[in-house]
Amino acid sequence: MVPVYLTVTEAARLIEKRELSPVELTQSRLDRIEKLDGRLHSFVRVLPDAALASARAAEAEIAAGRYKGALHGIPIGLKDIYETAGIPTTGHSKVMQDHVPAADAFTVAKLKDAGCIVMGKLATHEFAFGGPSFDLPWPPARNPWDTTRFTGGSSSGTGASVPAGLVLGGTGSDTGGSIRGPAAYCGLAGIKPTYGLCSRTGILPLAFSLDHAGPMAWTAEDCAIMLQAMAGHDPADPASANHPVPDYRKALTGDVKGLRIGLIRHFYTIDSEADAATRDAIDGAAKKYEAMGASVREVALSPLAEWAACGILIMMSEAYAIHETNLRARFTDFGEIFRDRMVLAGLWTAADYVQALRRRRELVDELDRAMQGLDLVMTAAAASEAPKIDDVPKFATLERPSLTMPFNVTGSPAMSVCCGFTEAGLPLSFQIVGKRFADATVLRAADAYERATPWRERRPPL
Amino acid sequence: MTRQELDAALVRLGLKVPEAERDDIAAAAHLVEEMAALNRKPRAVGAEPAHTVAFPLAKPEG
Repeated sequence: MVPVYLTVTEAARLIEKRELSPVELTQSRLDRIEKLDGRLHSFVRVLPDAALASARAAEAEIAAGRYKGALHGIPIGLKDIYETAGIPTTGHSKVMQDHVPAADAFTVAKLKDAGCIVMGKLATHEFAFGGPSFDLPWPPARNPWDTTRFTGGSSSGTGASVPAGLVLGGTGSDTGGSIRGPAAYCGLAGIKPTYGLCSRTGILPLAFSLDHAGPMAWTAEDCAIMLQAMAGHDPADPASANHPVPDYRKALTGDVKGLRIGLIRHFYTIDSEADAATRDAIDGAAKKYEAMGASVREVALSPLAEWAACGILIMMSEAYAIHETNLRARFTDFGEIFRDRMVLAGLWTAADYVQALRRRRELVDELDRAMQGLDLVMTAAAASEAPKIDDVPKFATLERPSLTMPFNVTGSPAMSVCCGFTEAGLPLSFQIVGKRFADATVLRAADAYERATPWRERRPPL
Repeated sequence: MTRQELDAALVRLGLKVPEAERDDIAAAAHLVEEMAALNRKPRAVGAEPAHTVAFPLAKPEG
């Protein structure tokens, strides 16, 4: 009997010792998808035959002594903006519902090389920006902690499927918070790596200068394992960094003694005022870090609205340029939320875009200066528990400054970490952020916190 | 932004937006104006070379 819930780390240990069959593990996940995904809608396409064939191949390789490492035989899902050879990649949109790529995305090929079993394609907000939408070819994913609630987005299917145990990990993308938002609302771990660390080749873009690819999984350690496979230079992505990739898992010492953390408290107490439960949970996490031997001091940055305005203007302007032809030719083939947000993007001028780029340079310098003498900063990942899925306004992205966007603007590695639950049983999270290419330090701090707290022991009541 | 101003902008953009969605968009247009304003800071003409392109390094010939 395969346990209902397994982390990547736990499953890998059993598979390596040949105490768990990749075929049985994969079949157990398919059974769980069959049982639960009618309520969660986390998949737009399940690939049972291909998954079982990959699992049988993995099992044969392992039996023959060719164990590849911690992802060998591990079932994962791919956000449906990651291209997959011969399998439709739709961006959850009618506009691309017949798009069948010829090749895998660079990161998909790397995950497959590492031995992952691809279970299917996961829901996303339309082109990683639109949702939650009810007028697309597939329904929006539902939060597994309460299916009347929003998953956050845009990596909504990954956010829903991992906590529910349908897959052990998945891919996300993050242009303004699309990994960290669903990770926060759905209570899993998700890291937006340093800009350029993971290739975007073969991933449908939202905004070239802000798009990040990254992993989402139940724990920071699982994210470290997946990031190890996904990271690496790709000459085909102009922003891909030719930078050494360290051993992320080796960095997970469980120890934060001596780490210097800056707490950006005004982001969630003044600029985008979080509710009391969120504020208390984050302040509690900061105290926990102090108790574990890190030092924490408050730091002040420009108001959150300035970071958000810079990032949103760049993101939506670049997205408009990408989708302009289809918006003109087939406007109503897009969902209403995506297309109406795009109209607003069309109202900005070229000068507005250049002014935002100038502001971006200043804000990058500002965070770099603030982090002199610090190893990490932390703040909220979301201002509250997940709202009701029907209560998300059409222009939500513009109405309230995003807590996650600042670190897309700066390209910094940033991670959502679960730090408790509300009275309603919904997850709360904080965001931990490092210097560019210090992804290992972010993972180390997240992992140490998870080990020192009980939050990873709780799963959705499905 | 008034409905008339939005309608004119949509003609310029070449977007065929359904009538039922236009009031919503016009009502939200102030949000994009406010964001644009937040990015405009007092700067000298040559103050900020943000919009530069980093070209790949050329490989030595031969």
